[in-house]
Amino acid sequence: MNKNKAIESDPEVLSRIASLNIVATKLVEGLLSGHHRSRHTGSSVEFADYKNYTPGDETKHIDWKVAAKTNKLQIKQFEQSTNLKATILLDASGSMGYESSNPKTMSKMDYARTLVASLSYLFLKQFDAVGLSLFNESLISHVPPRSKPTHFKHILHELAVLSPNGVTKLENVIESMVERLPGRGMLILVSDFLTKETGVEKKLKLLVSRGLEVILFHILDSDEVSLPFNGDVVFESLEDDSSIELDPANIREAYQRSIQEQIKYYRSHCSKLGIDYIFLDTSTPLEQGLTYFLLQRKNLGKH
Amino acid sequence: MNFNFLSPLYLIGALGIAAPVLIHLMTRRKKKHQRFSAIYLLLQSKNRSIKQSKPNKKFLLFIRCLAIIFLSLAMANPIFSISDSVNLGTKGPIAIVFILDDSYSMATQINQKSYYTRAVKALLDTNKSLPAKSTYSIVLASSPSRVLQQWTTVPEKAKNLLKSSQPSSRTTDIGAAIKKSLLLLDEIPQKNKLIYILTDRDKNGWDKKEFPPIKETTPHTFNIVDFSKMQRGINKAAVERTEVQQEFLSSSPVIKVKVKTINLSQSKPIRKLKVSLWINGKKQTEDNLDIPINSSTSTEFSFPLQGNNSISGEIRIEDDSLLKDNLRFFSYQPDRTIKTLVVDGDPNTVEHQSETFYLERALNPFTSSLSNIEPTLSTLAEFPKHNLFDYSVIILCNANKLPLGYEQELEKFVLRGGALFITLGNQVDAKFYNEKLGNILPVLLKSVHQVAMNDEPLQLLIKPSKHPVLNIFEEQTLEEMKSIEFYSIYSVVDREDSKFTTPIVFSNGLPALIESTSGKGKVILFVSTIDRDWNNFPIQPTFLPWIQRWIKYSARGLDSLIQKELLVGESFNWRFSPENNKAFIVTPGGKIIAPPSVDRNIIFKDTYMPGIYQLYQNARTSNSKSETSLPTSLPHGVEPAGSFTVNIDPKESISIKISDEEINNLLPKENVILSSGYQKAIPNKTNKDFPLFTYFMVLVVVMLLFEGWLVRKE
Repeated sequence: MNKNKAIESDPEVLSRIASLNIVATKLVEGLLSGHHRSRHTGSSVEFADYKNYTPGDETKHIDWKVAAKTNKLQIKQFEQSTNLKATILLDASGSMGYESSNPKTMSKMDYARTLVASLSYLFLKQFDAVGLSLFNESLISHVPPRSKPTHFKHILHELAVLSPNGVTKLENVIESMVERLPGRGMLILVSDFLTKETGVEKKLKLLVSRGLEVILFHILDSDEVSLPFNGDVVFESLEDDSSIELDPANIREAYQRSIQEQIKYYRSHCSKLGIDYIFLDTSTPLEQGLTYFLLQRKNLGKH
Repeated sequence: MNFNFLSPLYLIGALGIAAPVLIHLMTRRKKKHQRFSAIYLLLQSKNRSIKQSKPNKKFLLFIRCLAIIFLSLAMANPIFSISDSVNLGTKGPIAIVFILDDSYSMATQINQKSYYTRAVKALLDTNKSLPAKSTYSIVLASSPSRVLQQWTTVPEKAKNLLKSSQPSSRTTDIGAAIKKSLLLLDEIPQKNKLIYILTDRDKNGWDKKEFPPIKETTPHTFNIVDFSKMQRGINKAAVERTEVQQEFLSSSPVIKVKVKTINLSQSKPIRKLKVSLWINGKKQTEDNLDIPINSSTSTEFSFPLQGNNSISGEIRIEDDSLLKDNLRFFSYQPDRTIKTLVVDGDPNTVEHQSETFYLERALNPFTSSLSNIEPTLSTLAEFPKHNLFDYSVIILCNANKLPLGYEQELEKFVLRGGALFITLGNQVDAKFYNEKLGNILPVLLKSVHQVAMNDEPLQLLIKPSKHPVLNIFEEQTLEEMKSIEFYSIYSVVDREDSKFTTPIVFSNGLPALIESTSGKGKVILFVSTIDRDWNNFPIQPTFLPWIQRWIKYSARGLDSLIQKELLVGESFNWRFSPENNKAFIVTPGGKIIAPPSVDRNIIFKDTYMPGIYQLYQNARTSNSKSETSLPTSLPHGVEPAGSFTVNIDPKESISIKISDEEINNLLPKENVILSSGYQKAIPNKTNKDFPLFTYFMVLVVVMLLFEGWLVRKE
């Protein structure tokens, strides 16, 4: 109720929600065609495969016809038509608050917000449950997955009131999240991955091992990729680093190399772990990002 | 350890770092503040980047400043010496004699500081660091060597003595100084005895003859510190000699100054060395000289003489590291008018038939103002009317005999310094000459020797002569003199115990001209006529210079002023006229000295300052003959009596240094310690000072290359 009150009372939040709603709806409606499916098998009507009967299997699933023909007990397996529970884990640390030097491009946080809103809308439209967790060094807020269409409003509200601050501590967050996440669900991690932590891939592995389908959206501003600044610049941290004074021209090449290495690092580890990795530069139109995401999943036969 | 700069002025150049600092401040960019997400990546990149060594502007500025500092350090010629304390081989008290070379070559300047100044500083530094209870004395090594400071234990005494001291204008005499030092060392009972020589090692100062015999077993140690090792610039050239002459027989009097300049360099010829002539403080003329390696070149300056005043001048050459030998003084006293009484013994109403017709014209060929000889013509009858002492020279031309009693006057005149020139002829009364002028005439007139009509006339025996009158006659003029024909001459015989010379003889061996000295005067007898009666000499071109020179020469004893050229330290001997017994010398510094005289002889020894010393004499009689006084001004009535110049001895300029081996031949090898001016004394005989110029220049180059590389990388 409080949330609803807040939604109704803060005009700025309201307008942001409205705007997010419109953008996300428009985006998804424009792009979406067909059904979104889970890759998990379940007890649905659509046959998927046979497997040998092992004690403990429900006898009602034995295909007697096959048993009669082959004298072997085979269990029918069905593809579960979902009720997917997706959790979007959005980075709300200080670094996400970076405002681009190019006024034409969307800020990183807005980009992430729109992406999350779009994804949420997409899930809800498919009658899947979607939840949203915000984090920096720890979890800030958590909206549990629901599949009611009205749930979209809560998510939008969370996104609207979100103010980036604090330090990114992905490892801690994932560790604390693992227990909360429903098994065989989906986890969408949206972050800039600008963290000094070195063991993120282990935590991702942990997620994967829990049977979660993990999707990584790596969002960076184009400034963060190219470091386009010139002259003597005092860089002040958005998180907890101390300021540094330098001429960016001197380190541009090395920086670009570092950031590319980081992208490569996530891409290769995600690939190994079977995680979908989507890198999005804020200068890339969001439709393009979403299309790419949908196409990628379609090609993999994950619908 | 010791760190010195030969050219500390260049250190000011370090202020040049202000330039890059200013440029840096003026071009400094304004810092922007930018909030950014991936600071840790920036840091990482900064550490990883190849360009991390790429400097920021401050680092570049630092490199540039360093380059400027190193450059100014290099230009300041730093010298690093290993030893900074005096190693005297003992910690106990010692007796040390400092031999300080104060010869003029020690005035050689390197970077506004002379060797002497450096030597004095080294002496004082060494003195300060002597072990307790040590005693020292100081001997100056310029010739003649002298003790500046007797034995003392008070270091301040040397400081006070040496603080305002200057190098002298004398030459070096290390041998005599060592002799004095050994005598000093014999006086005291200290066990450790040291002779500490601070010198530029000019070879001329190490004359073996002056060295005392020193045994190999001598307990004394000789520390020789060479200050010339610092030499970078060299003493290029020196004025070696000047010679002043008045040009003879020109229509206007001209003074010629011949200058000999020496190139002291062993390796470089001198091109266009400026040599200038200065008279009475004003530059008259200048010349450029090219002098080959290690040799001399002469040049001659001429300038017109105005008036008969004495000339004080100097020759200057352009500056080099030793200024003292770039200057040489000269003085010249032009010939004074020689008043001459010409007594015509055979006058004639037809002018050109007079005995003195040719003589008079030869003595004063131009106007009276241009000639130095002022002849007064007289007949024998007029002779008594003249006061002989008004004249310098009396010429008796074919005079029969003098009026009664005037032979004694004439004798007195000669004895007091007058010159008597006698020419003979058919009027001469030989008996009068032989009897009355016996005291002054060294020969007896015998008879007239007449050449027979058919015989060849007599000729002079012509050969080059060194006689002051005849030495100018050379080659062509001598040839011309061969054509002089003598038809008649007087034959003469010697008087007993008479002394005379015959500078000119006839080809048959008979004397043509007889020269003798009587008292302070001169008597010259020409055995033929001075007109054309007995010879054709008067119409020969050589007659004029010949007779003028004889008259001037004979008058010199009376009229010429003292003109001498001395070297520094040489004593000036002056025997002055009997009636004057007071003399004054004005030194180049303007000091008036009344030197003591003994029997009218003055020996003036204080000639240590180069320059022109003016001489004056006073006719008044003074009783205080041996008085040495320093009058503040010249007394009234003194007259100039000439001058003498004192110049430095050019041998000290020659910068050939005595080698280590030669020193070891003069002094016991084992006891000699050689070092340079930046080491105080190093017993192992090795040179341990390191000039750092090259190293700093290398650093400058490295800095500049590094800076260039950094900028290029940027």
